[in-house]
Amino acid sequence: MKEFHLTEDQQDCLQELINIAMGQASDQLARYLDTFVYLKVPSIESVAAAELIKSLSQQQDTMAIVSQGFFANEGIRGEALLVYQEKDSGRIADLLGYEPGELSQDEQLIDISSILTTTFLNVFAQQIGNQMSYNAPKLLPSVQNNLSQHLQQMTFSWDLALKVNINYQVTDYSFNCNMILLIPGAAILNIKSVLDRILAEF
Amino acid sequence: MLDFNMLLSKKGASALALTELSLKQINVQIANQLNTGLLILNANFDIVIWNRFLQIHADKVVDDIIGQSVFSIFPELPKSWLSRKLNSVLQLNTPSFCSWQQRHHLFELPHTRPITTDSEFMAQNCTFLPIEIDNGKKNICILIEDVTDVCHYQGQLQKALHELEQMSRIDGLTQIYNRKYWQESLDQEYAKAKRHSKSLSLIMLDLDHFKSLNDNYGHQGGDVVLMEVTAQVSKLLRLEDVFGRYGGEEFAIILPETDIAGAVNVANRICKHIANLNFNYQTQRIKVTASLGVAQASDEALSHEELITHADKALYQAKANGRNQVFSVLSNSTVTKN
Repeated sequence: MKEFHLTEDQQDCLQELINIAMGQASDQLARYLDTFVYLKVPSIESVAAAELIKSLSQQQDTMAIVSQGFFANEGIRGEALLVYQEKDSGRIADLLGYEPGELSQDEQLIDISSILTTTFLNVFAQQIGNQMSYNAPKLLPSVQNNLSQHLQQMTFSWDLALKVNINYQVTDYSFNCNMILLIPGAAILNIKSVLDRILAEF
Repeated sequence: MLDFNMLLSKKGASALALTELSLKQINVQIANQLNTGLLILNANFDIVIWNRFLQIHADKVVDDIIGQSVFSIFPELPKSWLSRKLNSVLQLNTPSFCSWQQRHHLFELPHTRPITTDSEFMAQNCTFLPIEIDNGKKNICILIEDVTDVCHYQGQLQKALHELEQMSRIDGLTQIYNRKYWQESLDQEYAKAKRHSKSLSLIMLDLDHFKSLNDNYGHQGGDVVLMEVTAQVSKLLRLEDVFGRYGGEEFAIILPETDIAGAVNVANRICKHIANLNFNYQTQRIKVTASLGVAQASDEALSHEELITHADKALYQAKANGRNQVFSVLSNSTVTKN
């Protein structure tokens, strides 16, 4: 298990890359959405799969989770989970610039999730000289019962994952959501070698 | 398609005599044999090119569509929504997706299994990719996948699951809820009543002397009575009441948001109605009566099992008092105290 943990240097380096990516992503999003998008400094931590399932399943007020797989060269891959709460999701169509009634609540959640995920990860991939591809985003059916089932059935198996938690806030639309990037065990090793390369170049 | 630069830079490329021309030929042939629609739009959403799949399915002449707006060639497209979506691809330089689960199709294309599916048009998963051609000019590539089969089988699966769920709840003979589902409902209704401080009552109903009815007319006669009684009682209940077969000739009714007085009213109506029924079985006319026990959940922390016990005791008392009648009890007092 120990080989999966990031060293202090690696952790700092990843944090810095994510900070830069967040800045650029928030700038792009603000232009597209025509409103200020605030990304809160993320937390990066290693989590055991079982723990994560437990903590996510226990969030009572979670309304919906949208999942989107991502993959890139050098064995970098993972899954982005966007976690929404009822009270923060009332004006997504408005935020996205759609007319009311043009799209269902499900589609609004999927659309905004895809935009947030791909914008951020594209910029992040650029930072590490990579290019990201994506699966179609999926709304997880009925959060409470199926989340743990979903996580257990994910295409890659993982006991330990790198969890990057980023909070998106759009105050003008009382919008708020959490993006959790899960990077499974084997892909963590690949991230670590990318980080080592960047650190060596630095 | 294939990545020219990546392939040409490979060491083996020269050995295999891979040239830019041969790679182009490969790409063109794949694009035209692919069972996926490929449609390239420029930044004004005019059609730049499409592949054979789309040409065949859209049944339009190539010369008429190149350079035309995608919205005039495919007037069925939801213009303002799709424009906004396409703009996100151009502006954010990110892919975008549209699944058949949210929108069955975007393009009105016929599908290849016209007989066995219920939709006229091909179900589609669409992907919108940002691409750059001619030195950085932004374009959009739309991939249109035919997922009619997936959609069809998903529909069949949902239908089968729904039927299975219904079947697992229903008593085969009487077509009302079975005991298992009825008990689950009581569990839920009981919790709901407690949470919202609403009243909840229960009626247990047992047909009188049912054994001798079976003896006199045979089990088929008994079955006719059971079916007819449940059909008649169902008509006297509200939509939110939960009517279940508890055992042989014993039935149970959950009455949400109903106090004991209301429940006794309903029980009396049921009792009278059953006594007035005439059942025609073969050439004979059968009469039947019922005894009913009524109980209400109290504010005290009783379990729903105890509520059943109280209604059962009331039913027993109705039987002891001479049958064809209703006996009621509040769940916080015993029958004997009443």
